[in-house]
Amino acid sequence: MKLKFIILTIIGLFSFSAFAQEEISPERKQAIDSLALEKVKDLSKYISIIGNKETSFSEANRVIERTLELFANNSQIGVSSLYRKEVKYYPVRKYLNRLMALNYDKVNIKWYNIQYISDLERQPDGTYVGVITIYQRFEGMQGDDLKYVDTTKKDITIYVKRKETIIGGRTIGFWDVMLGDIRVAETSKN
Amino acid sequence: MRVGLFLFLLLIGSFNSLKSQVVDDVLGDESLFYAETKQVNQFFRRFNNEEGPDGVRYYKRDKEYHNPVSRKKYLEMLFDSRNSALTESIRNLFISEVLNADSNQYLNFHTGGWFAEVKTRFSYKSEDTFVTFFLELEQENMGYKWVITNVYFEPYAEIFLEQKSDSSKFLHPMSHEIDFMNLIKVFNDQKYIDNYTIKSFQSDFLTLFLYEFKQGYFEFKYVEDLKFHFFQIPGWYFEVEQFVRADYNSGWLISKLTKISEEEKSILLKYIYHN
Repeated sequence: MKLKFIILTIIGLFSFSAFAQEEISPERKQAIDSLALEKVKDLSKYISIIGNKETSFSEANRVIERTLELFANNSQIGVSSLYRKEVKYYPVRKYLNRLMALNYDKVNIKWYNIQYISDLERQPDGTYVGVITIYQRFEGMQGDDLKYVDTTKKDITIYVKRKETIIGGRTIGFWDVMLGDIRVAETSKN
Repeated sequence: MRVGLFLFLLLIGSFNSLKSQVVDDVLGDESLFYAETKQVNQFFRRFNNEEGPDGVRYYKRDKEYHNPVSRKKYLEMLFDSRNSALTESIRNLFISEVLNADSNQYLNFHTGGWFAEVKTRFSYKSEDTFVTFFLELEQENMGYKWVITNVYFEPYAEIFLEQKSDSSKFLHPMSHEIDFMNLIKVFNDQKYIDNYTIKSFQSDFLTLFLYEFKQGYFEFKYVEDLKFHFFQIPGWYFEVEQFVRADYNSGWLISKLTKISEEEKSILLKYIYHN
């Protein structure tokens, strides 16, 4: 499955006829969706590492830097709860630093087996933008006890941009995916 | 086959081909999430029957694209079922007109005829308050962006929409001969200032807001509420809102629906914009 994903991604994302085609075909869209989902999963994995008490301070900071590489500049995370209308917005770094400070013994992020991927719309600057919706359960453990549990809906902005790279003297165009603003809304607390 | 999707398929009574997607550390029943209209994008796709029950997009080449049979099932799901004002008869009439083979009504993301109403919380001169923004999609270059078309802010409305009318308040036609010295009477009386403006004058809250925002009177807090107004289906108006609840009937759904003439449309627009 992993190999299939890699092949699909390479076929779908790289094009030797660099910039000849600006429109995104259904096949390419599927490859972009897969890459975007991989980035979302990386984010989830990094959040688990950052939130764990067993992760050393220096390692957590290293992972925070890796996490920030997934995001476009100035991305924010907007968080609301079931019982409050207020939405709190955090720059990604601040959100991750807060997560590190929570200091659970262990953080489990469990996925519901569903994700919804929107169409990609073109912005005035030519970049495409879409939103991936996922549902996750966050479990903060202290010892064997569940200290905090919630289920959230996460609407994650993805930016898809045509870029160029030079491989073996040839200019090759490819579609790059970055994460953007994330809206986190609690759907249940149990 | 996953239980959640199976339940959802039962709900909409359709068994189309599925594409499985692998995720780690998977949780249990997700049928509610399948049923939920998770994004406004999904509202459009379901309305037009442009995706399968698993959320995977149909393209024009796909057999199921715009299929009227499954589209009817989607349309029936897209109403807030807890709203008694959305009677079966009005829903059925709407669905039958939308599905009418001669008119073939579809929603289109790019062609206008729909706009967003965003209720936001601000601090205004150090006090918490609401500001409502109206936004539309505007094309620029090859892409699109949301732009603010209008603002509603209650303190502005209190000042401008409740104008004191007094037929004795005017600048007489020979005022120019006295260097308009009678302006002193105009500006000594705040309440009646509107009486001295041209008949066609209409206050513009967006300009006022931008001016005061640039003066530093407003500080943004957060977005509190969002809904969408649709005038895309000829002869109809509907509103779409998000319903967060543990129910198969959840997510972005039609919360208001009414048959409307062109004349009524302009009245309704005035009402929405609080003009």
